[in-house]
Amino acid sequence: MLRSRRTNKLLVEPASVATGDIAFNLIVFFLVCASTQPDTGRRQDLPSSEQTKQNKQESKNPELALTRSRNIVSLNGEPVKIEELASRLGKALEGKRKPEERIVVLKSKTDVPYDHWIAVSTLVQDVGASITIQREEIQTVTIGN
Amino acid sequence: MKLKRLTMKADVPTMAMGDIAFNLLIFFVILARAQDDSHLQWQPAAASDLKAISHSQVSVVIDNQNKLYFNGQLIGQAQLTKRIQETLGNAPAGERMVLLKVHKEATAMYYEPVIESISEAGGDLVHILEDKRP
Repeated sequence: MLRSRRTNKLLVEPASVATGDIAFNLIVFFLVCASTQPDTGRRQDLPSSEQTKQNKQESKNPELALTRSRNIVSLNGEPVKIEELASRLGKALEGKRKPEERIVVLKSKTDVPYDHWIAVSTLVQDVGASITIQREEIQTVTIGN
Repeated sequence: MKLKRLTMKADVPTMAMGDIAFNLLIFFVILARAQDDSHLQWQPAAASDLKAISHSQVSVVIDNQNKLYFNGQLIGQAQLTKRIQETLGNAPAGERMVLLKVHKEATAMYYEPVIESISEAGGDLVHILEDKRP
């Protein structure tokens, strides 16, 4: 018996007309995705102004003064090396449990760069305290004749 | 004798509809980013233990020339509190996030009043920073 060996061997190719379009769309899609990458950051809770006023009256909170110098800060008027700040702050906040007691007053000179300010304020947050800002007042004094 | 008129079927080609829809989608996604501040020049300060921050209605930028921008638009310090209050409206706590992007070398003279304004407007302050590499 003869077997018919003839089979239908037609070459079937996928349509390649739209390949360019697809590639272009994919490029645009990934570009948009890449440009919407989420930012990274840190939250910072600042106490309300009423609390700050109370603290000013009590003036028991530790005061940190920053200058342009990145290595030394002043804690309650005493110069402290930045490496020792965490432990010194820990001691200053010892026994203080209430959130309003764990507020550090941060005073900065007008020329303190942001990266230094962030380094110190994150250190304060890591110790478990929150910060309040006390700004330097700029006053214009007119002297008469 | 009447001749039959040859009628030709004219269809709108629907082949590219998917592509068109997709392109429109991307176009509107880009447009929706109304507060785009990607054109501003600033370098973030470095810190550790950072968290990914989701989308926020308000972003405030101090660029490398100490200029202040609110959602990508140049603004004066005196107007900032009001603009933040207007934008946040009566949004509940947790949805009042304000992203603060400050150039790392900007001085306290510029960023402290901004932090104060954000606090005054009732915004939840989030500093946008770069992860500190060892």
